[in-house]
Amino acid sequence: MMDDRRLLDQFFTDPDCRTIRHCIQCGTCSGSCPLGAEMDAAPRELFALIRDGDIDAALHSDTPWFCVSCYQCMDRCPQEIPVTDIMYRLKQMAMAAGCRPRSHKVADFYRALADDIGVNGRMTESHVMARYGLKHPGAAVANTLTAVKLLTRRRLDVLPGRTRRPVQIAALTANCRKKDKAS
Amino acid sequence: MTVHGFFPGCAYKSAAGYRESVEAVNTRLGIRLEALDDWNCCGATAAFSLDESDGLALCGRIFALAQKAGFSRIVTVCNACYTTLLKAKKHLEKDGQKFDAVSRRLAGQGLDIKAALPDVSHYLDVLSDTVAAMPPAENHGCGYPFEAVGVYYGCQYSRPWLSGPAAQRPRVLEDVLERMGISTVDHSAGTLCCGASHAVPYADACGTMIRRIVQEIRAKGGQLITTICPMCQFNLDAGQTHQGQAALPVTYFTQLIGLALDIAPGALGLNKLLIPLAAEKKQTG
Repeated sequence: MMDDRRLLDQFFTDPDCRTIRHCIQCGTCSGSCPLGAEMDAAPRELFALIRDGDIDAALHSDTPWFCVSCYQCMDRCPQEIPVTDIMYRLKQMAMAAGCRPRSHKVADFYRALADDIGVNGRMTESHVMARYGLKHPGAAVANTLTAVKLLTRRRLDVLPGRTRRPVQIAALTANCRKKDKAS
Repeated sequence: MTVHGFFPGCAYKSAAGYRESVEAVNTRLGIRLEALDDWNCCGATAAFSLDESDGLALCGRIFALAQKAGFSRIVTVCNACYTTLLKAKKHLEKDGQKFDAVSRRLAGQGLDIKAALPDVSHYLDVLSDTVAAMPPAENHGCGYPFEAVGVYYGCQYSRPWLSGPAAQRPRVLEDVLERMGISTVDHSAGTLCCGASHAVPYADACGTMIRRIVQEIRAKGGQLITTICPMCQFNLDAGQTHQGQAALPVTYFTQLIGLALDIAPGALGLNKLLIPLAAEKKQTG
């Protein structure tokens, strides 16, 4: 409970997050969301939960991880609440607090991408897919046909693009990895 | 002509003819882009989701590289890079503590970031300005039989940066294409989301999103889709399989502009599209 209090305070200290106090629960965000139907609590409901003090439910929710960053909700919100930005803050808080989202395929995908950047300084699609495929073999199988098609059109990069000293970029992405380990 | 700092982004080099067509169009129109030396990945949606300070540091390094080379503008060819860099710029300009933290991390690597951060532009806007400044005589040299084009901007070009109707339905690319003699169709799917990288972990849900975009463009008479972002192009090109109807080809806007400028299809990387462009198929087949 004490921890929840601290996390709630942290949430409402953020100037973007604080704006959910103005939410009128109209549901324009949830109705505009292309993946709203997949979420356990689409944005309107998520904000209601947080205003009720249930930050624990919000940080374990899969909603922020389903957010595709299309900014549709943010553009349309009549109260000018930066909904998408708040989804990012919730993901960051969830990682820092070691809260595994109920559905964490996207978190695993992001982690695969961050790991790949840490190795070469740049992202290589085939490498990210391989890393992600180790955790989710089904995805690797489903994407094999696409990979073959890309290969025949000489679009599947196997050799990575690299910065001169990838170790520097690894240092700049160290927190992404550290926080995932804490969970 | 000004030389702009260029941030290619990671997806550019393996994208279906994007690099080829941007380079060919640049040569023809005299647009000069110089890639930032030793550029790194911007972190896209991943770094900002996992840890904000890392997301800012990755973008901060890119800003510092541009400043070191003397560029006051960074040009991107990808919506995700565009929004990620703009978002980082907004944070770093608004919050001195965040700026100082990035500055310290970069100083440890011998890089110096200065407060006056470079502007960030999408290549579409650079091209639009160039075409608008061209004498009309050079604009209608459309030597290729075009079908009606449905422009697909994707999300992060217009949002969250443009306000009012432009955030939902920008017109800039329709205006460029029509000036070049290419007809476009009016439709409402231009800034719907293609699912971006969520198409990997959630292929089924994103398939519905892709289908909605393609069906709207087809229903309004579009026979070809053109995009301004590698992620969008890939999702619409690779994601139309198993959908029952004849697929609509999905090009980069620079490939169409290249054709309108009478650049040979072979120089525009059109053979890399998964769904072949009808005109290109006729030529090569």
